[in-house]
Amino acid sequence: MTRALGWATIVGLAIGLVMGFGYAPREVTQGNVQRIMYLHVPSVLTAYLAFGIVFVASLAYLFTQRRKWDDLAAASAESGVLFTGLTLASGSIWGKPTWGTWWTWDARLTTTAILFVIYLGYLLLRAMADDPERGAKYAAVVGIIGFLDIPIVHFSVVWWRTLHQPSTLLRPEPAPISAPILITLLANWAAFTLLYAYFVSKRVEIRRLEAEASA
Amino acid sequence: MPDNWAYVFAAYLIAGVAVVWYWRHLARRARELAELPRRKKRGTG
Repeated sequence: MTRALGWATIVGLAIGLVMGFGYAPREVTQGNVQRIMYLHVPSVLTAYLAFGIVFVASLAYLFTQRRKWDDLAAASAESGVLFTGLTLASGSIWGKPTWGTWWTWDARLTTTAILFVIYLGYLLLRAMADDPERGAKYAAVVGIIGFLDIPIVHFSVVWWRTLHQPSTLLRPEPAPISAPILITLLANWAAFTLLYAYFVSKRVEIRRLEAEASA
Repeated sequence: MPDNWAYVFAAYLIAGVAVVWYWRHLARRARELAELPRRKKRGTG
């Protein structure tokens, strides 16, 4: 199952790359640097998904105390940190030629950096806990509270005056972009979701094997 | 606006390196753990 998911991910990422560089047109205003968006936007949407799963799995763990929920939360948080890191790196690289700076303390950028630090702390908390059960409980609380930053990240471009443009995909109105750009964004989002699912299933499997090895 | 291909390739390269590194890290860890019972059985673990 995980192996099939791995192959589907590779195919999905390859299709996403071909579409990003071959099918999607050169954007009129930004030029080809806009192609970074096929990496940046799917990364942040996948990070939202990952931390959403951490939130749900953490609640489920606190209510049921079943280990499978803790495994899912831990695995999802690790992937979420990776995708948030990719979001920050790709956004920064896009920002230099477009805004003239690698970084600015804009509300969207700052809240995303805070999100990254929260879940990095979540992973550190797990790694440093002497008692795994207590560590899992504390991590679940951080996973639930940390999720509150997601709506702040997403609506920061609405609530504050920001340099960062409003959301392209997750908005009530239709996306203000041409069909080929939208289709390419959605294809890459699907590929990144497959990648996330593969990483999580593999990480959950590893956590189970680690538990068996230490039993 | 100039195309800035160097920035595009840098972004994809960094993402590629991070994803491949994590993928390989998971694969290696899973392999090590899967081999553990066999090593224990042979008395070398």
